Amino acid sequence: MRKAVVLLVMVVGVTLMLWAGWHNLRERKLAMQRANEARATLIPDKGGDAAQGPELEGPKLTGKVAPAFVLTNLEGKKVSLGDYKGRPVLVNFWATWCAPCKLEMPWFEEFRKQYASQGFEILGITDDADAGKDVISKAAQKAGVSYPILLTDGKIEKAYGATDYLPMSFYVDRNGVVVEETAGLGTKDEIEANIKKAIASGNKTVSAGGE
Amino acid sequence: MRAIALAGLLAIPSVLVAQQSGDLSTPLAKSKQYVSYEAEEQAVKAGKRSVVEMRFRVMDGYHVNSHTPKSELLIPTALKLDTADGVKAEAVQYPAGTQYSFSFEPGEKLDVYTGVFTVKVPVTVVAGAHTLIGALRYQACDNAACYPPKTLPVQLVLKAK
Repeated sequence: MRKAVVLLVMVVGVTLMLWAGWHNLRERKLAMQRANEARATLIPDKGGDAAQGPELEGPKLTGKVAPAFVLTNLEGKKVSLGDYKGRPVLVNFWATWCAPCKLEMPWFEEFRKQYASQGFEILGITDDADAGKDVISKAAQKAGVSYPILLTDGKIEKAYGATDYLPMSFYVDRNGVVVEETAGLGTKDEIEANIKKAIASGNKTVSAGGE
Repeated sequence: MRAIALAGLLAIPSVLVAQQSGDLSTPLAKSKQYVSYEAEEQAVKAGKRSVVEMRFRVMDGYHVNSHTPKSELLIPTALKLDTADGVKAEAVQYPAGTQYSFSFEPGEKLDVYTGVFTVKVPVTVVAGAHTLIGALRYQACDNAACYPPKTLPVQLVLKAK
């Protein structure tokens, strides 16, 4: 008799657990469905005007030496691309008003730490003509980046062809040659692959420089 | 990701020009635009408060921030109208935006306009024809990138009887 009661309690207990699990899963699915319905279907991956891609103006730099620059960082110091000769560098154009730019910046920071031992560095050039230094600094802080943020001189975007579409990234190898350039937000995997490409390319015997 | 090498092979996207139609001789905006506005003469009762609507269209595949984006760093869509004799315009009324997040970062919510959005302008107008000159400032993005802020010239044409 006692065994039967124990068995019954166990069966009821297991049944309750199964029901609770199923109920929880159903609630989560419904919540997900409600969230998806509330969200606009905005941009098809293919089709529509945007799928034709941006009208990219300016030079295509892949295979060419990255245009030299001397810009001021947020601390007011002059920073030159030449300072980083011998190191693979990601030159990234972004702006405080650019949401996709700020999505990838924490990824950049993560990869910067991951590949620091191979000399990898990132230079974030802010494309904001109007934003003040404080606003730029705040946006960079919010994105969690510690790599150098440089202020535009109004000419650098033209040299890199980064005038009308953000984010844009240029992966520069140790010899100062652009090995890959991308426009728009990519996946984390694509970004890492491009970083690896920049690290693998170029003459590794060149001594490291920069900060 | 849009690799530039590939993007170069793709067709030139919309070099979009603001469309102003009918007999209204509004000059065309020459810069690339991602929002268009079709000016229509709007009839209102002279001396009575009326709410006129201005319809804007965001090009397919793009979105612009709403008037109240979720972040102070984002640039809100805002309409500015100059004053004109015989027209008393009140504060512009903006529609609510639609919530949007990038598939890469579902936790980051944006508040945007897509497709057609209508801005309302309460006006009190003296009898006659009037034109208010103005501009819509906005900042557009597609699903992967953003374009610098733009200003779209607009005209609000009113005929009060």
